Amino acid sequence: MEFPAVRALDGVSIAFEAGEVHGIVGENGAGKSTLMKILSGVQHATSGSILLNGQQVTLHGVRGALKLGIAMIHQELNLVDELTVAENVFLGREVTKGGLLNRAQMIEETDGILKQTHASFSATTKVGTLSIAGKQIVEIAKAVAVDASILIMDEPTAVLSEPEAESLFELIGKLKQRGTTVLYISHRLAEVCAICDRITVLRDGSWITTVEAKKANPVELAGLMVGRPITDFYPPKAPVPVSKPVLEVENVCGASLSVRAGEILGLAGLVGAGRTELAEAIIGTRPMDGGHVLVNGKKCQIRSPKEAKKHGIAYVSEDRKGLGLHLSLNVIENITMANLRSYGDVVLSRQGERSSAETWKKDLDIRAGDLEAAVSNISGGNQQKISIAKWLETKPKAIILDEPTRGVDVGAKREMYNLIQRLAAEGLACIVISSELPEIIGLCHRAVVMREGKIMGELKDEELSEEAVMRLAAGVHAA
Amino acid sequence: MKKANLLTEYGALIALALLFVINVATRGGNFLQIENLRNLVSQDAAVGVIAVGMTLVIIAGGIDLSVGSMTAMCGAVVILLVNKLASSGMGANVAILLAAVGAIAIGAIAGLLNGFVVAYGRVAAFVVTLGGLAGFRSIALVLGKGGEIRSQVSPLQDFGFGGLAIPFVKDAAGGPVLFYWSAIIFIGIALLAGFGLNRTRFGRYIVAVGANPRAAEYSAINIQTVRLAVYTILGALVGLASVLVGARMNSIGTGSAGLYYELDAIAAVVIGGTSLRGGKGRIWGTVVGVLLLTLISNMITAYHIDTNWQGLVRGIVILVAVLIQRGKKEDE
Repeated sequence: MEFPAVRALDGVSIAFEAGEVHGIVGENGAGKSTLMKILSGVQHATSGSILLNGQQVTLHGVRGALKLGIAMIHQELNLVDELTVAENVFLGREVTKGGLLNRAQMIEETDGILKQTHASFSATTKVGTLSIAGKQIVEIAKAVAVDASILIMDEPTAVLSEPEAESLFELIGKLKQRGTTVLYISHRLAEVCAICDRITVLRDGSWITTVEAKKANPVELAGLMVGRPITDFYPPKAPVPVSKPVLEVENVCGASLSVRAGEILGLAGLVGAGRTELAEAIIGTRPMDGGHVLVNGKKCQIRSPKEAKKHGIAYVSEDRKGLGLHLSLNVIENITMANLRSYGDVVLSRQGERSSAETWKKDLDIRAGDLEAAVSNISGGNQQKISIAKWLETKPKAIILDEPTRGVDVGAKREMYNLIQRLAAEGLACIVISSELPEIIGLCHRAVVMREGKIMGELKDEELSEEAVMRLAAGVHAA
Repeated sequence: MKKANLLTEYGALIALALLFVINVATRGGNFLQIENLRNLVSQDAAVGVIAVGMTLVIIAGGIDLSVGSMTAMCGAVVILLVNKLASSGMGANVAILLAAVGAIAIGAIAGLLNGFVVAYGRVAAFVVTLGGLAGFRSIALVLGKGGEIRSQVSPLQDFGFGGLAIPFVKDAAGGPVLFYWSAIIFIGIALLAGFGLNRTRFGRYIVAVGANPRAAEYSAINIQTVRLAVYTILGALVGLASVLVGARMNSIGTGSAGLYYELDAIAAVVIGGTSLRGGKGRIWGTVVGVLLLTLISNMITAYHIDTNWQGLVRGIVILVAVLIQRGKKEDE
């Protein structure tokens, strides 16, 4: 038997066998996507080599990888809605006869593949009319059509319903019989254990272990995925003063939670769990779907960030460059942006704006030499402080910080934790959305875990552990 | 590097100064005659007033192609109103004032309409105002039955050629040289808009919405209101400009009035260094742009060049201005 083998990532070697379904699991940022990008030819490895059937190969882009039989199915499907299934399957490698497209042959071949998948549509269906699951089948048909020997699937079931997922698993079984190797990336640990032959766990960019799926269980996997010691990176937690909830969210997009003055509530979950969407519904940039928000016990109508501000709710976006800041404007203009009315109903007081910005600069230790420099020239950590200052300017009662340490270096992270602690100590109700488990554990008094738009559970005090959060986030229950 | 910055930042001003020097060197006294300089400022004052409003719209991330047709429509309203009011026995000056207010109101409503569809209908500004370009001209033509509408109130033209006497200057006949109202209005509107853009809350919102509308929305700014407001302001300014056009001509040719004003106004804005992408711009640059374009057409007449070349020269000036702007982006 031949062993198509792959060596990659940090001197780590993983061997994938022909005809096996190999699960790859890890936290966000564990290195899964980097590994997959290298394997599918999107990125080049800085060191190490890839061996295919025992021979060293170099992948020249996605096309190069495809030529060698490595195909990747992305989370975001890359299909052209306006074209038919057959046209998509043969996109870029159309079969021609005498310079003209040979439609008949392409349709026939595509139908042949679709038959094996129990697809309810045909080769001449427009892709735009298909469901997400249908599109996924088209993607797979594309890979089968090029006779891929290695198929990489990134979170294929994330968008599928239960029965759709079942038929996908059936299809994976068939591919396996044909001798295709399937690399299966998923956060759904139960599913990984059920359909894979072996499972590799990655953490912090390195290989942790590869286990036989038969002997693995989701709880154990969750433990392997985290299991990082928490150092004194986080400032000690101050006790939460006894008080009534400042912000209560009831049934907004089906989720409910509340946070008190002086409390730091973590909103945990995997990327795409619906945490940002919940925050956006709270501040009115998304529909609340029938729920409502209470501030200090009073029901509020919030249809825009402007109304959210009026009720004392601030949201610091995870997308600093796109939503959080005006990159082309200067530090002063950004800091006062959400609170301009304080500087004049009509004519603005430049003096007032400047002195206010100076105060925040000192208070939050914003390292920006020139307050009139565009914020695009400032480091990530300092940009983050500016976007927080912008909202502290509005004197909020509750602040939602979405991934406050994303794209921020380690030193600045620590400062950010100190700042959040301080804000809570000053009586602000804080919600911290974070995909980094240690951050949730180390910083928050209490954590609510979301998965697929729903709240899976709440953890506090000694229940609050990385494994417990991961189990809820991945949807597995302790045995 | 420093040199390049000076050129990109003050390119239009430098070009204007350069042309000025060339004119002085070759035409000397003729060019420097106070009447000629005055004419430079007042000749395209109507386009100037519109260009100032256009600057605000473009900084807010929009565009308005309908201003030329809107000028004809508002101009038709001015003349019709003046005639009607004066014939009903009203004093000429009151009639002119009321007609002007009417034209400004009609312009504001037309601008509001543009702004409403752009802000709430979420249709691209280009498309919405392209509709206005066709529609407003059509309304003007209907009002004028396809032709010219003449004013029967002679004080209207008196206003068009009236103004404030420039002190210490006499014309050849020994009479005073007037600085036309149109030029005074143009300068006044520009100063007002410049102050509004740089020093007021609303001005800051215009920049914020143009630079990044979503970030502005997430900063608790009502971006729809800001968009609606800039188009309305531009509409009102178009109404004002139409009064200047009508007063100068004492009539409005509904098919020809305001023709290509949208292009002239946008050209002046771009030449002045305002980014077509929005979020960055300046009123004084637009004023320089208007003066530059006026000076160019002035020179073509003075040097007896076939006026058919005018379009080509303008086109080149616009392209050069945009190329210099692009250089600025790479610097940042």
